[in-house]
Amino acid sequence: MEFSTQDKGRYTEVTPSGRLNMVAAPKLREVIDGVVSAGGRRIVVNLAETTFMDSSGLGALIGCLKLARQSGGDLRIAAVQPQVNMVLELTSMHRVLTPHATAEQAFPND
Amino acid sequence: MTDNLARRVLEEPATEQAIEDLHGVLDQLWLDAAFVPALDQMAFTTAVIESASNVVQHGVPSPGATLHLGVELTVSAERLTAVISEIGAAPHDPVPDLDDLPEPSLPGEDALLEDYDESGRGLSMIRALVTTVTVERQGDTNVWVLSRDSVQD
Repeated sequence: MEFSTQDKGRYTEVTPSGRLNMVAAPKLREVIDGVVSAGGRRIVVNLAETTFMDSSGLGALIGCLKLARQSGGDLRIAAVQPQVNMVLELTSMHRVLTPHATAEQAFPND
Repeated sequence: MTDNLARRVLEEPATEQAIEDLHGVLDQLWLDAAFVPALDQMAFTTAVIESASNVVQHGVPSPGATLHLGVELTVSAERLTAVISEIGAAPHDPVPDLDDLPEPSLPGEDALLEDYDESGRGLSMIRALVTTVTVERQGDTNVWVLSRDSVQD
């Protein structure tokens, strides 16, 4: 899995590309930790290119959400693909990680 | 005996690389069995990767043994089956009781984020994604058998 990070002004967009499994999960935590350490408060994880997520990947997302909130910010997810959506709904985690249609819509202008 | 329409196997040391390789083996299986509905492919793939990851993360080798992951995937007209073997593993202690898993802790509507655990969802996900799941000891191997009924559209 590869990660790209882009400063979009209102938010920082992190795009994991590939499979968010037990191998990639610790890397996602590192990437988000880096964004938060650099002062990023609003983070959008753009899942358009994430074709697969297991319980390790889901756990990493929840951990990253906690990290963002603890530092006074927030983390939101966008462009969720069908398998990832299945895992979110199966575990009811869509209640805390609500998918947004696009990264741009995750943090509306305010 | 139901005829197998597609079959793929993998056996290698139980490492992270085995999980990446297993994703590739599953991709090949669905190329051979493209008639299986997408939802069944997705659910079965997720359950197989969860089970194999459980072996890599939590499997304990018997003294002097190297832990290997064995996977046999078969597709028949009505069923998807995975036999996942923890080869050279110490016996499970206790054996996971897959029919009596604790309810996943799901905090209430007004729960705080801190109430949500970061781990511990794997087994209940497997249980929800397949029709039957069993785990038993065979020789030096713990064997998980997952099956999902899948009827062609």
